[in-house]
Amino acid sequence: MITFEQVTKRYGGRLALDSVSWHMDEGECVVFAGPSGSGKTTVLRLITHEIAPSSGSITVGTIRGAHLSRTRRALLRRTLGTVYEDFRLLNDRTVFENVALAVRIAGRFADTEVLPRTLYALEEVGLQQAQAAYPAELSAGERQRAAIARAIVNRPAVVLADEPTGALEPESAREVVALLRRIHAEGVALLVGTTREEVARAIGGRILRLADGRLVGGPETAPAPAPGGAASGG
Amino acid sequence: MHVYHLREAWRSFRHHQGLAWTMMLSLTATLLLCGVFLLLTHNARTAVRLIGDRREIVVYLRDEVTAEQRDALVAKLGELYGPTEYVSREAAWDEFSQQVGDPQLLQAVDQNPLPASLRVRLRPELLNYPAMEQAAGQIGAFPEVEDVRFGGEWVRRLDQLQAGLLRAALVVGVVVALAVLLILYNLIRLAVATRRREVEIMLRLGASDRFIAAPFVIEAMGETLVSALLALGLLLAIERLFWHQVVNVTFLPATWAAGFLGGAVLLAWAAASLAVARTLRTAGP
Repeated sequence: MITFEQVTKRYGGRLALDSVSWHMDEGECVVFAGPSGSGKTTVLRLITHEIAPSSGSITVGTIRGAHLSRTRRALLRRTLGTVYEDFRLLNDRTVFENVALAVRIAGRFADTEVLPRTLYALEEVGLQQAQAAYPAELSAGERQRAAIARAIVNRPAVVLADEPTGALEPESAREVVALLRRIHAEGVALLVGTTREEVARAIGGRILRLADGRLVGGPETAPAPAPGGAASGG
Repeated sequence: MHVYHLREAWRSFRHHQGLAWTMMLSLTATLLLCGVFLLLTHNARTAVRLIGDRREIVVYLRDEVTAEQRDALVAKLGELYGPTEYVSREAAWDEFSQQVGDPQLLQAVDQNPLPASLRVRLRPELLNYPAMEQAAGQIGAFPEVEDVRFGGEWVRRLDQLQAGLLRAALVVGVVVALAVLLILYNLIRLAVATRRREVEIMLRLGASDRFIAAPFVIEAMGETLVSALLALGLLLAIERLFWHQVVNVTFLPATWAAGFLGGAVLLAWAAASLAVARTLRTAGP
């Protein structure tokens, strides 16, 4: 599903990712763990083609290549669901409109499907009561859940989450981790980047550790956490 | 065009009214200038056409031409060049007398010196200097004809005036089109810049350039249409309140007004598409 082959990324003179190779299968859960600046966000941005690799090859689904055209890049992003640390919601639109926007952008569904799909996604994240609220009226945890609803509303093959609990207090972080686990349990591949060891373990997938742009150690598989989760963030 | 994009364009207008009104007022002023020139051009063309319609060739006949020969020539010229009217020596004197008006001056002329003539009102396709010159030459070759006059210099100047008007209209049209393009281009780039975060988020979600551009383009076209209507309204007010009182100016015909509106909206579409495409190429992830 996602394959990196000898991928290197430099920002000017700084080496952000050094000849990294890894692979992720359909329906798998992978967590990139490591300190700030280790290259986790760079990995996620390379997958979404926000940046291009300095060398190496990246394959996401059926799309392979280092430099995609704008059209193919947009097409690729429509097959992914992405969650950011800072939510990236549109502040002048309601929660419903934020989620529905992703459905419209996908362009795969008729107008009549926008409402039920959006409501279903909001129900999955427990925000159906807050659908008319604006992001500023929500707590940080609710905003992240709205962002997750937007990420899953088109049933992507993989959800990418870059430090999804980074801006949340512990209780909200636990809720978000539990939500991501549930989404993965429903068959969606999950790729999470986090600095927090407890979040990495709570997610419960294959952990790849990054340090100074390199994969270190062998892959680990986190044990399934006890019900209620052990993650805390903030 | 999708209803969603129309709603987004309306939302954008409501959220960025300051920018929208700045754009509409700038466009209204520019389009009003264009409208004033169009109105002047239209009226000048109408006036020139009216004058041009009076262009005729005067054919002086030899004294010995018989009525049969004259009638045959009238028929021939009517068939070749346009309606031809016979003016007898007496009719020419009467007409001259009415124009001069002073009986004492007329008494000083001993006898009627005016020859009989034919007045050829040329067909529209012959109302230009080269065609008139050629027709005059051909008519002069008829044996019944003494002389042919068509006011060559005057016709040449009228043609030059018409050509000048056309050139001026083209130049002003191009200048105004460029001004409209420039205003729209820069203001739309500014509009995209003010919504950069929104555009970036949409790009991250996989929105195509067309999806992002559509509301901007629709908004620009709508605002330009309103501006063009405002400009036409102001032009009508100016024409009614001022010019109509001073000189007999006629307002733009419906086809010209429709062309003005359509042209403005088409320019808006071109400028907005170009501006958004260029801005998106440098925007976002």
